[in-house]
Amino acid sequence: MEKNKTVPAFWGKEDWQAIWIGFIIILFACIAVLTKAFDFSAVKFSTWAVGEAAATKAVPLAQQLGAWAFWRKLIVTVVVLGTLFTLGVKLQGGSVKKYIPAFLVLFVIALVVRMVSAEFTLNRYLEWAFWALLIGLLIANTVGVPEWLKPAIKTEFYIKTGLVIMGFSVLFSNIAKFGLYGLGIAWIVTPIVIIFMWWLGTKVLKIDNKPLVITLASATSVCGTSAAIATGAASGAKKDDLSIAISISIIFTILMMVFEPMIIKAAGMTQLMGGALIGGTVDSTGAVVLAGNALGPEAEQAAVLVKSIQNILIGFIAFFVAVFFATRVDKNSEKKVGAGEIWNRFPKFILGFFAASLIASFIIQPLCGSGAVKEINGVLDQYKNWAFVLAFTSIGLDTNFKEIAKQMQGGKVLWLYVIGQVFNIALTLFAVWFLLSGVVFDIPVLDLYK
Amino acid sequence: MGSGKNKAFKVVTIVAVVAILACAVWIMANKLGLAQEYDFGAGAYYYADIPGYEKIFRDDVYSTKVPYWVHVVLFLAWGWLMYRLWVWIDKRK
Repeated sequence: MEKNKTVPAFWGKEDWQAIWIGFIIILFACIAVLTKAFDFSAVKFSTWAVGEAAATKAVPLAQQLGAWAFWRKLIVTVVVLGTLFTLGVKLQGGSVKKYIPAFLVLFVIALVVRMVSAEFTLNRYLEWAFWALLIGLLIANTVGVPEWLKPAIKTEFYIKTGLVIMGFSVLFSNIAKFGLYGLGIAWIVTPIVIIFMWWLGTKVLKIDNKPLVITLASATSVCGTSAAIATGAASGAKKDDLSIAISISIIFTILMMVFEPMIIKAAGMTQLMGGALIGGTVDSTGAVVLAGNALGPEAEQAAVLVKSIQNILIGFIAFFVAVFFATRVDKNSEKKVGAGEIWNRFPKFILGFFAASLIASFIIQPLCGSGAVKEINGVLDQYKNWAFVLAFTSIGLDTNFKEIAKQMQGGKVLWLYVIGQVFNIALTLFAVWFLLSGVVFDIPVLDLYK
Repeated sequence: MGSGKNKAFKVVTIVAVVAILACAVWIMANKLGLAQEYDFGAGAYYYADIPGYEKIFRDDVYSTKVPYWVHVVLFLAWGWLMYRLWVWIDKRK
């Protein structure tokens, strides 16, 4: 595979490539938004609906496909991602001739995934990660994956690149968004839940697949799919581990989004406390907003504040997981691992994720303002999603149902999630009561009407 | 685990999986938990995935007198402490 051994690691190794590809995309997005010189937006389907017009904001699919802007953005997306990934493959020593046609077909499958997952009901609950896995799995387990398509199946490459791009949206200023109340609820509870689930998974349930345990623990305690992708990559989790962790998180999020507000209402909890509990326990951010909204405007904002802090934890958790796995899990003997060895094992793309986050938080935001950062993130989010959809479609294409069933370890993985989530809810409930009930501290006042 | 217990565990797990999936499908079929004013659902995994997230994720909802650096110090200190706890627990048999 390594035809060209003279290529320096920075250009030839996947981790470093993810960093510079991510930064090229970030740079172009910044220039496009700040100068308004060109439109760098990636293609995206608006919500469309099958049958009755369930969604008032739905745009018919035919209308979307009939617009020139859609095709222009599609060409931009294919050219940008295709060129950068092909360059990466070339520097890795791969065959460009084989990669380009394979990438184009993978992109077409990813396009179908995004189209399907933009349908009103399907995007309300499951979205691209689920549909990418499912469509990939269906192809792999029915007609099979042809040999010529395999050069494009580069799951880790796409995930790492997507994570570096995502780093730009992790704004460190959010840490103080809800003062010490938010820090107490989001940051005190999260690592305790991770450690509890690690102990439960590895010591009590004796699950020997440690990357799966930590990926599921992060999905449960931080913020579902995004956290699972980051910690999965940091711990070297296999494709099946990620599929399992994300599928469990997505299904339970649907349940929690509906039932948690009902239980909170029935318990007579205040909106502030209920919202903070939802923000700290419901996995997906969209579900947090909706579950908070079901309780009222104050609950929605409290939920959003707590979730904002959890969103910035993704990078830190991934960093600590990478260090932990490099120093404790991946070592072959009891000997202490030296700094050089730790550096060798450390997934370098995490540095790109952090660098992107620091640049957005401490350079672009102070210089250009929050509005500009939000606008840039609006552009980058689509590139991140495309990288992840390519990755998840690749996972589906590279997996068979038997492997997934084997990784479930006779159901232990499901119970790890269930017990971990119950512990998460109980601990968050205690933190919420302690900080927001008014028994110990003053109740914070949220300004909802500025 | 004995074979009887093992079998019971598997049965309970299968029942739980079927119940959870049925419940999720029922929620989706009845479009529960959605809000008329929002064009997204649980499928918006990350905050930036939410259409018009800047109107929901506002910066001016709460203001604190505690300096920013205090948050950063507490954040890093708690992170370091928890990492040490994690390593300690992992070392125990």
